[in-house]
Amino acid sequence: MSLQSKTASRTTALGPSVGEVVERFELEKAWLVDPVSGREGPGEIVVTDGVLESVVWLEGEEASGVTDKGVVVAPGFFDLHAHFREPGFEDAETVATGAAAAAHGGYTTVAMMPNTSPALDEPGVLERIRSAARASGSPVEVLAYGAVSADRAGEQLSAMGELADAGVIGYSDDGAPVRTAKLLRSALLYAGMLGLPVVEHAEDLELTASAEANEGYVASILGLAGWPTAGEVNAVSRDLAVLADALRDEPRARLHLTHLSTTASLDLVRRAKAAGLPVTCDVTPHHLALADEWIAGARRWSWEALGPDGTSRDPWADEALTAWPYDTSLRVNPPLRTPVDAAACLAALLDGTASAVVTDHAPHTVVDKEVEFGMASNGISGIETALGVLIALVDSCRLPLARAIAALTTAPAAIVAGWPALAATAAARKRGLTEGAPADLVVFDRADRWTVTEESLRSKGKNSPFIGRELSGRVLLTIAGGRLAYEDPKGGDE
Amino acid sequence: MNVETEPAAVGRTAGSARTQEVAWHHRHLLDVDVVTWPEIELIMRTTDEMKGVLARPIRKVPALNGRRVTTLFYEASTRTRVSFETAARNLSADVVSVATATSSVTKGESLVDTIRTLEALGAEILVMRHSVSGAPYLAAEIFGGHVLNGGDGWHAHPTQALLDLYTMRQHLAGGDLRGRKVAIVGDILHSRVARSNIWSLTAAGADLWLCGPATLLRGMDRWATAWDGGAIPGHGRFHVTSDVDAAVRDADVVMALRIQRERMQGGLLPSLREYAARFGLNAERVSLAKPEAIVMHPGPMNEGIEIAPDVATSGRAVITEQVANGVAVRMALLYLLAGAHEAAGGHEAAHEAVHVREAARAPEAIR
Repeated sequence: MSLQSKTASRTTALGPSVGEVVERFELEKAWLVDPVSGREGPGEIVVTDGVLESVVWLEGEEASGVTDKGVVVAPGFFDLHAHFREPGFEDAETVATGAAAAAHGGYTTVAMMPNTSPALDEPGVLERIRSAARASGSPVEVLAYGAVSADRAGEQLSAMGELADAGVIGYSDDGAPVRTAKLLRSALLYAGMLGLPVVEHAEDLELTASAEANEGYVASILGLAGWPTAGEVNAVSRDLAVLADALRDEPRARLHLTHLSTTASLDLVRRAKAAGLPVTCDVTPHHLALADEWIAGARRWSWEALGPDGTSRDPWADEALTAWPYDTSLRVNPPLRTPVDAAACLAALLDGTASAVVTDHAPHTVVDKEVEFGMASNGISGIETALGVLIALVDSCRLPLARAIAALTTAPAAIVAGWPALAATAAARKRGLTEGAPADLVVFDRADRWTVTEESLRSKGKNSPFIGRELSGRVLLTIAGGRLAYEDPKGGDE
Repeated sequence: MNVETEPAAVGRTAGSARTQEVAWHHRHLLDVDVVTWPEIELIMRTTDEMKGVLARPIRKVPALNGRRVTTLFYEASTRTRVSFETAARNLSADVVSVATATSSVTKGESLVDTIRTLEALGAEILVMRHSVSGAPYLAAEIFGGHVLNGGDGWHAHPTQALLDLYTMRQHLAGGDLRGRKVAIVGDILHSRVARSNIWSLTAAGADLWLCGPATLLRGMDRWATAWDGGAIPGHGRFHVTSDVDAAVRDADVVMALRIQRERMQGGLLPSLREYAARFGLNAERVSLAKPEAIVMHPGPMNEGIEIAPDVATSGRAVITEQVANGVAVRMALLYLLAGAHEAAGGHEAAHEAVHVREAARAPEAIR
């Protein structure tokens, strides 16, 4: 049996099905990426009884022919931001389908947002999610945030202490910002006391009321109501000011700003970090790789839409509109921005301002998406395409492969390690290729292209802008905690 | 078919030296952005033919006899709906009229389900008005027939832009807009009429000026700047200003757009009184335009706000002509769309054709 590659070869069988301990798995002549040691190169791994028994780095003659363009082995990915919709919206996703989708995307650990119904604002909801995760049989570890406010209503705090005792990894009213600065201050203080962060969706709801797309050239032409940059910048300013204030009373207060999308808001975080504020942030694959011109029908990567002077190119002038406009799979919050903003997201990723990439995986039903653009639910089903999008960036020579892997592994773990109550927990553990530890890894073929289709997505949410398109980086195998999470059906055929 | 009953032998007669002969191949008309200049000329010529029909004692031809036109209006409209229905009846089409207040839309039926239902009931040409930008594109994706956009959100109102163009050409010497100054004054931000007119008038080579208060021009300056260098194939530049005198001065055409009362609640305007004083088309302002300039309004008008009553009823006003031309333009488009189906070789080919945006070719003079 061998993997789909000219060089790498698998010599032994896995455990028979998802959830079972991987008894024996050997991979020869693959490209290993270990973001903990910072090392990458040709190598071999052996997994025995769920343990990563050996990691061998090959040199000289043995390594010949093995490049970073073929089969790659990396630690299992960690998504700090996903929506699994259970309880309440099981038509869109369940913990089981979400975990299957995650494993297909190479993820072994996922943090779920609490905008379920009922909201995850008391421990009973967390218990439901955990029992669904256990029942799924998937070894993908499902973590969760609790809501900041009761019922995410922005009025009073959720059962924060009880949620902490039950094991949430932080608090967020994601989908919306914490409604008032006053409540955010309380939340930062109380969560800080508990050693946990507030994860903030930064949006000034007044400025974005009824918004449909990024305010700018594309929205102007398409007649879509604009979501201005100021809507995010204003919210980030507020959040940073409140954090600085809260820190005087509670030094353990932590703020994480998720899915930042604009040049100006990332600049604010860059300066705040330089000033020593305990703030972190992340960016999404879609804000890195897509731009608002996709809504008009463009289908080129954001970096292909940048002019030589660093400004956004005009898709009308370029005659780059090749798809039907107003595709609701592109309606997302925050909205797809300009190619210049996408480049700023990449710059932030490269300079560490936003070290982690999160998917903001937001599955929706056809009922919620096959409607008029302005009536469609916000969100992209993205946990299965995140790797492919990052590989496109790597292939364009804008992001080193090791940095892409780090953004999916060690960077999110390092963010969690900065949250005092979690510093010593498994979620904060360094995600490397460590001999003797339970195998937690992904094997993918960087060169192997796969077509994103409704059938190929394990998620119930088919709201992907990549449907019908090819992505590189087919995931061949995902092992989570020593157990089989995903195996490419083609992988064992030959 | 004989000449008496066939309004125009378009696409089959030899073209003039000036205009290259062109066949209509669009399955839908969702906006004028993908319509090439030769196709716009074709629409204008077909409209001429339809005007001929309307000049007859019996304004009816059997061109669309037995064809089924359905109007689906999700937004209140009198003139556009009546204009389309009149146009369809003049071509002997069977017309079904669906207004949202009386359909199952109020029971929560989705647009997709509504359109599938109308198709199952036999609709062939769907004329649609919707308050959400882009809605007709969703309709066109799922509807097996032809979709004709009767106005979507802030985005597009192609038949209005075409009837505006037709009316302007009637009044301008030589029927040529190249170098002619057209000023559109009003709520540009929320106007689908303005957006479609940007596409058609920059294709026609007009010297287009958009004017309004800064709050109602948001984003338009960026658009104008992007097009300033003649970047878009087939389209010239246009100007954006809040200086109404500069916009109107020496204009050949002055068009006012409706100001809606909601704009005050949204904090975009201090008062209608202030708007009327600063931007309303009164006699004094219109006198800055060329002596032979025409005054237009897509309707419905707020007389005394965006346009003074004496201007609206003056000899310069062509507002009722716009309404009359609207019927002819819509007849032409219904005719062309209905014929397009066979001409393009059926469903697939036509659907394919509209998925690929063509590079429009404008009159050379605008380069």
